[in-house]
Amino acid sequence: MAADAGVIRFQRTSKRYHTPARGEVWALRDMDLVCEAGGLTCVVGPSGCGKTTLLRLAAGLEPTTDGRVAIDGRTVTAPPPGIGLVSQEGSLLPWRRVIDNVALGLEIQKVGRTERRTRAREAIRRVHLPPAVERSLPHELSGGMRQRVALARALCPGPRILLMDEPFAAVDEPTRHRLQDELVRLWQADGQTILFVTHNVEEAVYLADRLIVMTFSRTVADLPVPLARPRDRLDRVFVDTLLAVRRTFAEHVNGLSCDTTS
Amino acid sequence: MTVKRFLVRLALGAVPPIAILIVWHVASVGSVVVPSIPAVVEVLAHPFRAPPTLDATSLASGALVSILRVLAGFALAAATAVPIGLLVGRSRTAMDVLQPTMAAAMVISPIAWIPVAIIVFGLSSPATALFGDEAWRYGLLDRVRFAIVAVIWLGAFFPIALNAAAGARGVREAHIESARVLGAGRRQVLAKIILPGAAPAIVTGLRVGGGIAWRVIIAAEIFPGTRGGLGYMIATAHAQASYEYAFASIIVIGAIGLALDGLLHLAAVRVSRWQPKER
Repeated sequence: MAADAGVIRFQRTSKRYHTPARGEVWALRDMDLVCEAGGLTCVVGPSGCGKTTLLRLAAGLEPTTDGRVAIDGRTVTAPPPGIGLVSQEGSLLPWRRVIDNVALGLEIQKVGRTERRTRAREAIRRVHLPPAVERSLPHELSGGMRQRVALARALCPGPRILLMDEPFAAVDEPTRHRLQDELVRLWQADGQTILFVTHNVEEAVYLADRLIVMTFSRTVADLPVPLARPRDRLDRVFVDTLLAVRRTFAEHVNGLSCDTTS
Repeated sequence: MTVKRFLVRLALGAVPPIAILIVWHVASVGSVVVPSIPAVVEVLAHPFRAPPTLDATSLASGALVSILRVLAGFALAAATAVPIGLLVGRSRTAMDVLQPTMAAAMVISPIAWIPVAIIVFGLSSPATALFGDEAWRYGLLDRVRFAIVAVIWLGAFFPIALNAAAGARGVREAHIESARVLGAGRRQVLAKIILPGAAPAIVTGLRVGGGIAWRVIIAAEIFPGTRGGLGYMIATAHAQASYEYAFASIIVIGAIGLALDGLLHLAAVRVSRWQPKER
């Protein structure tokens, strides 16, 4: 277990769904992937290629059809302790104020009210939200602020692993860039293992130290991203890397349908 | 809202009651059936006085009996319908088993059950269950007849249960999953996600159920064999031609119904304040 602490391991992992319209659909097929402890792995691929399924299996929200997913060396059969999940917009509880949303994980762990408020305020501060928003309801915030709250909620209990499902897809570009910078800053400070799923190649290159290209429910490329940080989107090396990844992406993805029916 | 706008709305809202009073006054002149407004006001002004011309208790006592009956049936309905509704909303099997019956039962007027309830429960009450032949000594407790409570329960149960089911079904899976990933078990998901998420729909169901309960009680009390309550007072006043008591009872029924709905409306506003306003 100790050797595998913070490691996410997919071993010949497959997931098949049954849909009324198309029968059996493979969302993931024989996936082998090891996300090393403390790494920031981005999975990039077009819609429907199984990226979200990958995260849902790691989060223990769905069982595998074949193969295995392990976190900290233990097979995942239910949401494992010590993980945080940030998804696209809409996972905040709309009836809870920001501070109570952020403190949800601690409340579930039955942490006392004073301590959880203190820790929730610290998490709110870390994602650069003004203290005044703690009394706001989610619908009173902008999309970018809501995603910061979602990130604060995931970080608040101090997870070793963060699973992120296109968390910045619904925000405008300048906000997305700021959120990406903040994510990197928090990751460098805390050293969690991050598995980040996106369909945005530039985002993946900007964030990742390892990039997985997925299509047809499988991995088609596993690329290290050895760029120094902080990264500059206008820097020549960054642009060259981005172009190389785009080329790989285009070779495998463009013009192809991702869904695989049996 | 400005003061002027408030006054305009108040004045507009007062038009129908004033029109009704005028029609009432005109109809009462020279009539032996329609009582005069002052005669009804006289009854309303002395709510604790037993009617000298009627075999009934005072207006206040009648109102208290009706309220107690409604509260008993309504509380029972809420306590049973909310859990069953949540179960139907979250369990496919429970929905397949219960939903068709609930939808069918919903359209049967609860008043249709009154004779059945009287046959099943007779004149039994909490007092007869606890004290047997001495039940008559425990006036109010003896007036809360099981038959009437059962009919109120039937009337309020289905709207509450169906609304709770719809509310539970509408809770977003993303909310449940976010709690599960943070370590929530089934009970915590129920308490922290499903119940608050379904609360606006549950309160809507309580409001509809409360309105039905209050309407049903009057019908139930008009039936023979159910002594006490405002419905009983209307029936007795009609039988003994003391129409001012019937009219006064109707006004009290309206006032209590309005207060009940106002309370449930406040509850609805409170549990729904997190929902963004329509623009």
